[in-house]
Amino acid sequence: MRKVFIAGVSVSKVEEHWSQSVDALVTKVVADLTDVRLRKIDGIFVASALAETLQNQGNLGAIVAEDLGLSGVPALRVEAGDASGAAALYTGYQSILSGISDIVLVVGVEKMSDASPEEAMFLSSLSERYDYVGYQGVTESSIAAMMYKVYLEKYELPQEMVAQFPVIMHENAAKAPHAQYQFKTTLENVLSSPVISPPLRRLETTAPADGAAAVLLCSQDFLPTIQHDQIVEIAGCATSTDIVFPFDREDPLKVSAASRAFEEALARAGVSRNEIKVLEIHDSYSILANLILESIGYSEPGKSGLDAKNGMYSQGGKPVINTFGGLKARGHPIGATGVYQAAEIYMQLTRLAGSCQVDGAQTGAMINLAGLGSAAYAFVMRGA
Amino acid sequence: MPRLSGIAIHGYGVYIPMMRIKASEISRMWGGSDSELPVIEKSVNNLDEDTVTMAIEAASYAIARAGISPQKIGAVYVGSESHPYAVKPTGTIVAEAIGVNSRLLSADLEFACKAGTEAMQLVMGLVASGIIEFGLAIGADTAQGRPGDALEYTAAAGGAAFTIGRTSDSVVAEIEFASSYVSDTPDFWRRSYERYPMHASRFTGAPAYFHHIVSSVKMVLDEGYSLNDFDYAVFHQPNTKFPFAVAKMLGIPPKKVEPGVVCNLVGNTYAASSMLGVAKVLDQAKPGERILMASYGSGAGSDVFVIRAGDGISEKRAKAPLVTDFIERKRYVDYSLYLRARNKIRG
Amino acid sequence: MAWRHKRFRYRLVVWRCLNCGAFHHYETSICRRCRSNRIAEELLPSRAKLVTFTAVKNPPAGFESQAPYVVGIVEFEDGTRLLAGITDCDYEELKPSMELERVVRKLTQDGESGLIIYGYKFRPPIKKH
Repeated sequence: MRKVFIAGVSVSKVEEHWSQSVDALVTKVVADLTDVRLRKIDGIFVASALAETLQNQGNLGAIVAEDLGLSGVPALRVEAGDASGAAALYTGYQSILSGISDIVLVVGVEKMSDASPEEAMFLSSLSERYDYVGYQGVTESSIAAMMYKVYLEKYELPQEMVAQFPVIMHENAAKAPHAQYQFKTTLENVLSSPVISPPLRRLETTAPADGAAAVLLCSQDFLPTIQHDQIVEIAGCATSTDIVFPFDREDPLKVSAASRAFEEALARAGVSRNEIKVLEIHDSYSILANLILESIGYSEPGKSGLDAKNGMYSQGGKPVINTFGGLKARGHPIGATGVYQAAEIYMQLTRLAGSCQVDGAQTGAMINLAGLGSAAYAFVMRGA
Repeated sequence: MPRLSGIAIHGYGVYIPMMRIKASEISRMWGGSDSELPVIEKSVNNLDEDTVTMAIEAASYAIARAGISPQKIGAVYVGSESHPYAVKPTGTIVAEAIGVNSRLLSADLEFACKAGTEAMQLVMGLVASGIIEFGLAIGADTAQGRPGDALEYTAAAGGAAFTIGRTSDSVVAEIEFASSYVSDTPDFWRRSYERYPMHASRFTGAPAYFHHIVSSVKMVLDEGYSLNDFDYAVFHQPNTKFPFAVAKMLGIPPKKVEPGVVCNLVGNTYAASSMLGVAKVLDQAKPGERILMASYGSGAGSDVFVIRAGDGISEKRAKAPLVTDFIERKRYVDYSLYLRARNKIRG
Repeated sequence: MAWRHKRFRYRLVVWRCLNCGAFHHYETSICRRCRSNRIAEELLPSRAKLVTFTAVKNPPAGFESQAPYVVGIVEFEDGTRLLAGITDCDYEELKPSMELERVVRKLTQDGESGLIIYGYKFRPPIKKH
């Protein structure tokens, strides 16, 4: 069986890039990858969740190919809500695995700053069923808030057991040059920030942001052209779906798509859960950090907060989560997020993580969700 | 003596929104006097309520009380001066929401505050002719008064619905007589595309409200009824004073008017007003008791009805909330929340 | 288009799987849970109990004027759970397992000139004498 590797990554700082168009963001981030390899690219996969709504732009495959001077190269756009980035990676991975492609560029891009706050609230709920949820003004954050509430009630926990996750994210992002929020915060700050939907507070959610990230995937045939310590293997990846509305699931507190995808990815990689040193999880809402960590088997149900409090998920723990701040603090440019996650795992495993570096990071993993877990992508990666 | 036979009210239902504003709060806003306010308080519909939603709820109670399948309803007429659409019927939305099938007559009516009783007249005619078995006559309004205008003290929100069909055993009430008196009288109007109505101030009294109601009631007396035949009298209630004043002109004692007064605590619900008053009387009337009902609609006209409570009244009364249940379900808002709820804040 | 969904939104007509009991708010030929094709229309009852609830303080486009508003999950006697707007009641007044009844309310409108969208909401029952 063919193997698929990451040969290089590039990320832009997540922020409001007022002056930068999608084209400008994409070309900038791809230009940071070496152009020698660009000439050999035989597949482009562009992840974006909202370009047609926010930039009135469809057909991003051909457009990005042209932006990069690569017209002629097969290119397509991938949309899977918040998981668009990982979905594009997955598609690129499949393309190499099948033998159709040898070197593939995966680009994630989103420009949320073009949306008003109300539009952003609407767009951040697009992964839920409009005819059931959106039409009645129910936001995704309000559904997350109800999951949060049910979680605290079920396990009789104080809110800090959830609300401390944003604090950990900010701690990590404070040292990350490409993070949206490069500062620390406190539990008091989180718990005194404005309520979005009780009990969920503003500092437990993400804010609209722009960003672009690029990952170059290649088959083993290209390994000789790349410096050895800059190679990361996608050892296993998998995806799964779930009933879309959390309260229609057997258990609204179990992110089954994530647990299935993660189990499968580990199995394909032949890696055990305990070998994962760095883990990117999808914390678009603080409560999702708890639910994901419990669903994929790192913490017992109801115990992720306590584990986090005891340092299990911070520097020195195992696995260290969201080493650049995660969705909360690195930022969540919706369709680009999964590509950021892959790039960040790559940086860890190639020792390019700078002051965010986790010592001894050999194996890492990422989980990217659509919505509140209606789809999940898991990637397990191994350093050289 | 009765001119009609075989027409009955099988069910009735009302809806009044929960919010109230005190007239004194409106007066405080505009520096008015607290004495001689036209009502004590009035209902205010919330942002998620309009004529359609209030008509749906009132109609669902009218059907529940009638104890019939919605499929048996052959007509839905909705009278209002605040239909949410200028073009697109309220009636079809109401019919669909309460599960009436599509073999149906439906139209929206407009005749200021008597549009609801006009709906009654139409449904009665269709029932009497045998064209339909049952029909719904609905009056509902979310009345608007310009901020600072005298109307603002009273313009309120509410709905009332009657299920009308042929007489059978144990009906809520029989309708023994109905007529109408109209003339071209410009006391109150609203031009197309205007948000608030205009009115002719004191001209709305003698030549308008009083003349038309007195004239319509005279038609009842001409038919052979005497005022002693009535246990209750319900008139359109633009304010608390007018129904008692017209009763006095006619020689009807206040105690026959009081049971049907809702305006003091609800305000003027326009097309629903006299129907709400009758519903409040039906909430307490005994079989055999007679109600004199006279609506008033600006422009102008008065529908008059003689209604006699039937044997089924107490059994059917229990199947849905009473008018007082809605009157007591209330939450006060101040003037700023009132402006917000009524969408009167414009940038 | 809202019109297509009127029976669900106005009256809570749902499509029930006769094999596994799953409900669908949309017309379907395949059960989303068990893939059975034995689907039948059903009218949900008008009373339900509140399971959990929250409030929307940052509204999406189209709901700006109404915020904050309450939303929740209600459960019918047979265990069916439904997402619903909750009206005539403040967040602070709600309690888990309190009884609610269905009403039809105006949900939003497509601007000043577009269509008005009506649909179900739940509210505390009218207290009867």
